[in-house]
Amino acid sequence: MYKLFLTLRYLRRKWIAVFAMLSVWLCVAMVLIVFSVMDGFLENIKQHSRGLLSDIIVDVGTLQGFPYYDDFTKYMHEQLPDVVESVSPVIYNYAILRVKTGRAENITKPVRVVGIDLAGYASVNTFHDSLYYDKYYPGTTTFAPAPMPIAGLKLPPGTPEMPATTNAFADSAEYALPDPYPQAFARFKADHPDDPIVKNPKRPSVHSPDGVGYFENNFGQPGYEGKPLPGLIVGMDVIYSRKEDGEYERAMVRGEEIVLTMLPMTRKGTLAEDPVPLAMRLADESRTRVYQIDEICVYADFKLIQHMLSMDALQRVDGTMTKPRATQLLVRIRDGLDARVAKARIEKLWEEFCMGVFYDIPPQKYRALTDAERAQLRRGAREGWLTTVDPEDAILMSAVGVETWEDRQRGFIDAVEKEKVLVTILFLIISVVAVVLIGVIFHMIVMQKTRDIGIIKSLGATRWGVASIFLSYGAAVGIVGGILGVVCGSIFVYYINDIQDLLAHLNPNLRVWSPEVYTFDRIPNEVKPMAALVVFVAAVGTSMLGAAWPAIKAARVWPVQALRYE
Amino acid sequence: MSNVLLRAQDVHKTYLLGKVPLRVLRGVNVDVRAGELLAVTGASGCGKSTLLHILGALDLPDKGSVRYDGQDVFRMSAARRDGVRNREVGFVFQFYHLLPELNVLENVLMPQMVGMGVFAWSGRRRDARARAEDILTRVGLSERIFHRPNELSGGERQRVAIARAMMNEPRFLLADEPTGNLDAKMGQGILECLRSLNENGQTIVLVTHDPNIAAAADRRIQLVDGRIEA
Repeated sequence: MYKLFLTLRYLRRKWIAVFAMLSVWLCVAMVLIVFSVMDGFLENIKQHSRGLLSDIIVDVGTLQGFPYYDDFTKYMHEQLPDVVESVSPVIYNYAILRVKTGRAENITKPVRVVGIDLAGYASVNTFHDSLYYDKYYPGTTTFAPAPMPIAGLKLPPGTPEMPATTNAFADSAEYALPDPYPQAFARFKADHPDDPIVKNPKRPSVHSPDGVGYFENNFGQPGYEGKPLPGLIVGMDVIYSRKEDGEYERAMVRGEEIVLTMLPMTRKGTLAEDPVPLAMRLADESRTRVYQIDEICVYADFKLIQHMLSMDALQRVDGTMTKPRATQLLVRIRDGLDARVAKARIEKLWEEFCMGVFYDIPPQKYRALTDAERAQLRRGAREGWLTTVDPEDAILMSAVGVETWEDRQRGFIDAVEKEKVLVTILFLIISVVAVVLIGVIFHMIVMQKTRDIGIIKSLGATRWGVASIFLSYGAAVGIVGGILGVVCGSIFVYYINDIQDLLAHLNPNLRVWSPEVYTFDRIPNEVKPMAALVVFVAAVGTSMLGAAWPAIKAARVWPVQALRYE
Repeated sequence: MSNVLLRAQDVHKTYLLGKVPLRVLRGVNVDVRAGELLAVTGASGCGKSTLLHILGALDLPDKGSVRYDGQDVFRMSAARRDGVRNREVGFVFQFYHLLPELNVLENVLMPQMVGMGVFAWSGRRRDARARAEDILTRVGLSERIFHRPNELSGGERQRVAIARAMMNEPRFLLADEPTGNLDAKMGQGILECLRSLNENGQTIVLVTHDPNIAAAADRRIQLVDGRIEA
């Protein structure tokens, strides 16, 4: 009983323990904050990598792309129905983007053009969630050619109102309206002061299916301007810059004209013809929150890009047709399936498929070959001395590799994982200072209490009893400091972006999290309960460790030695 | 011989003062009989306190044995020895040695707390408190039970120490210069207190260098140069 009694009494009477508690508190908060931010950073990278790629990537790794992608897609669906959920082809290339109209007129940027089939792409990854206008006007984003929308879109009930950051519409679209519209809108505004159109008069799209929304100008008809042009989704950071408050300085309106100049390429990698300019309209903006993607990527229709880059089926001089090409196939696998297992099966299937194309060997026959025979066939494909297929196609197909999303990002993920471990270790080393401090404080407490220890022992207290008073004391310091640290650290992490915004508001130079450097535009702000528990247990453990040596020392002395202590 | 509670035989103790050995006890033999008030006297530094500490198992002799009812306390396990010290020995020190963070009542209750676990204590707390208050009333401190030691006079502190020593009804009470730090009047009060306990059957071993205090004892032994003078 005396152990508990004296532990509580010493806690109440010994203010020096507050310093030990304070150091535990700060160390726990510090380690938890660092660990949570780094862990959140890593999780974000993994989540976004998977979300923006897909589970499995079949990639040629060169801009010319690879042929037979559509045949292989069908083959995969046929042969691996238990593995493949959906497949979408993608073309990557580079282009020069020029904004033709609006406030950003004549701005040019080098961009990475991603040719996608919008519906198919949405089935293999989370790209669709990154679309800006589609969030507020669901189903309105499309690559289909359309003129610029200029009259009001009447929103269906329940549609979220666009945030104030889109006010640029109100400023920039006014000049684009036909003359009769402003007067009509003024009348509409007077008659329907509470209508969403009044609050948000610039409606972004005409591509609205029935039921989602419709245009209504003073003639009761949708209002358009200009000729129909294919749509382009532009990464948010390609043109827009971010203000100090973290919001975007918007300079374009949906439907404004953009010219994309591309470089068509032959299968050998030479330029097929002169650069091809393509007039398009802003269909939507993509904000994946991965800065390295949002600052350079623009997305357009797969077939259109394929055609513009001369990667579609072309007629040869002899009248035969070339095979259309894609740069990647993104494969979404069935839920619950291990990506590595799926990768191995797709890899094997690709090899069988290629050999079928190159040598017209049925899969069963190919499987029966020895490793040496297979290696020889693969070498033959790489070197292009084949007869049953165009050698250039065979060379491109031989360059195709299959990767999981983790393989694809392995270098980056590994680097961040190592960074996380390194930073956590650094802060743990700093935390050793806290352990030493606790040890010193407890040593002082035990020194001060040596005579008390003698008294307690003279009353019959056991060695373990005396030691446990100070160990309990250490544990109490660890528990209280640990709880305070976990609570304060969690609150800090939760509000870390607000804290940064506040600091940046006071002085822009205090903005510590730069999206250009750290990939994500916001600091990860989630604390994992397990991480908090581990840090808490470690805090209690180290506090007890700090108290252990003085406690054991106190327990081992004979009572009379302690009573004589001056 | 049957009424010998405590027997020390051939007890030796040497301290090192730097590198110089100081032989404090050189083969001391003592019997303490039930119900007696035994005074150990001698000049300062002759080993009286050391002998008392060894008798109460607070210190380890270099040689010799101390037996309680025939059992050698230094051959017991440490835990058992601690238990015996808790139940059978009460100490009164010259400098009181009260716990400064605890009030008078808590100091007196401490021997009971040491001897009990949390659950046993919760069951017997009321009885223990009643007994502590009774003892404190007997030593004249019923009005001071919630005072801290630093709020008491020297004589009052020593009476608290006596009350604490009596809390577990020890078989013998060992008092080391109990009046050594008090003026004559307070010392007399403490002596009367001890006499009163002895008259009620409490066995007491008293260390003192004051002949007047020793005169009040039933029996006296004198230590000279680490040995008992016949």
